[in-house]
Amino acid sequence: QEEAQAIDQELFTEYKFSVDQLMELAGLSCATAIAKAYPASSFTASQPAVLVVCGPGNNGGDGLVCARHLKMFGYEPTVYYPKRPNKPLFEGLTTQCQKMDIPFLPEFPAEAALIDELYGLVVDAIFGFSFKGAVREPFSSILSTLERITVPIASIDIPSGWDVEKGKADGLQPDMLISLTAPKKAAMHFTGRYHFLGGRFVPAALQEKYALNLPPYPATDCVLQLT
Amino acid sequence: TPVSSRQAFPLPSLPRKQPTVLVVCGPAQNGAIGLVCARHLRIFDYEPTIFYPKRSPDPLYRDFTTQCEKMDIPFLSYLPTEVQLINDAYNAVVDAVLGAEAEAGEGREPCAAILATLKHIRIPIISLDVPSGWDVEAGSSGGISPDVLVSLSAPKQCARRFLGRQHFVAGRFLPYDVQKKFELNPPEYPGTECVVALRAPR
Repeated sequence: QEEAQAIDQELFTEYKFSVDQLMELAGLSCATAIAKAYPASSFTASQPAVLVVCGPGNNGGDGLVCARHLKMFGYEPTVYYPKRPNKPLFEGLTTQCQKMDIPFLPEFPAEAALIDELYGLVVDAIFGFSFKGAVREPFSSILSTLERITVPIASIDIPSGWDVEKGKADGLQPDMLISLTAPKKAAMHFTGRYHFLGGRFVPAALQEKYALNLPPYPATDCVLQLT
Repeated sequence: TPVSSRQAFPLPSLPRKQPTVLVVCGPAQNGAIGLVCARHLRIFDYEPTIFYPKRSPDPLYRDFTTQCEKMDIPFLSYLPTEVQLINDAYNAVVDAVLGAEAEAGEGREPCAAILATLKHIRIPIISLDVPSGWDVEAGSSGGISPDVLVSLSAPKQCARRFLGRQHFVAGRFLPYDVQKKFELNPPEYPGTECVVALRAPR
């Protein structure tokens, strides 16, 4: 977790990347990975409906970017975003989604069965690699519900609720994990079908410094399928 | 833009041993886009070199410059007027000098001198949005002749005069209502691609 935070810090302070830049590239990777693993044509319902659950921090921001790109790729995303930071970055991302006619739910579906009925996929953009400590409401209830759905879950960077290094055996078990920048230790406990790498912006010098040993991305793709 | 450069000039096809590309960046937004393009080209394993004589004071664009510098992308201190030097050192040139916002930019230094040199090079030019020096509507009279044009958002009127090999549009991220409002009628983008070729390669 510390290493991931150190890499982020260097990208911002040394390389002068803005949060906006990296978040856009990260969110785009997530949407691209999802499109590869769950093509719109593969959804059983008539519309390729996706529920994107966004948390209160940067992972939620990644989710908003992802939702917008999913819309452009022909999906029908719906966002649930209960705790919105008062910062221009997140307000901007929210506006962009709203202006693209992406609905924002006023409340979270009450039952797992309802989610299964309405959506073919759920994107977990609740907590990322900075997560520490106990899960607070409303996310605790949300995670309990998500643990009971049968449609696949795609988690951004870390399955929400997991310890960032040790995982969580009785927690969320997503079908897909999109590791951003580099896989975190928790990824070792991932047992789903699809593990993608996204966030193709780490300069070679940083990769070497932190011995990331990332496999090469194909051509100009912004994602790499690891499993 | 870097994606379309890659599609037009896949790495294995480049004539020189090193996948060198010269990215010439003007003082305004078109130049800044060139900086971003150079950074992504580096990530895609090309070897970009940047010529950015007149740097914008805009903090966002200064950060783009820092990102390139920190990624060990060299910045030339001058552009050789000896055209053969450019032909020999690079596989292609990305023209990010002037975009649609330029007004008589061609007349001002250092753009005029840059364009005078680029007119004579023999390696392919990839222009971002508008071939630099062209009038954004009427096109060119005796200006540069790019091999590849990457129209940003939507083709500009002068694109009708484009005679090069490939024309790409990078405009997938325009919201649907903006597309409708301006009657853009973009083509379908394949899969998750962010660029689409408007013309089949000759």
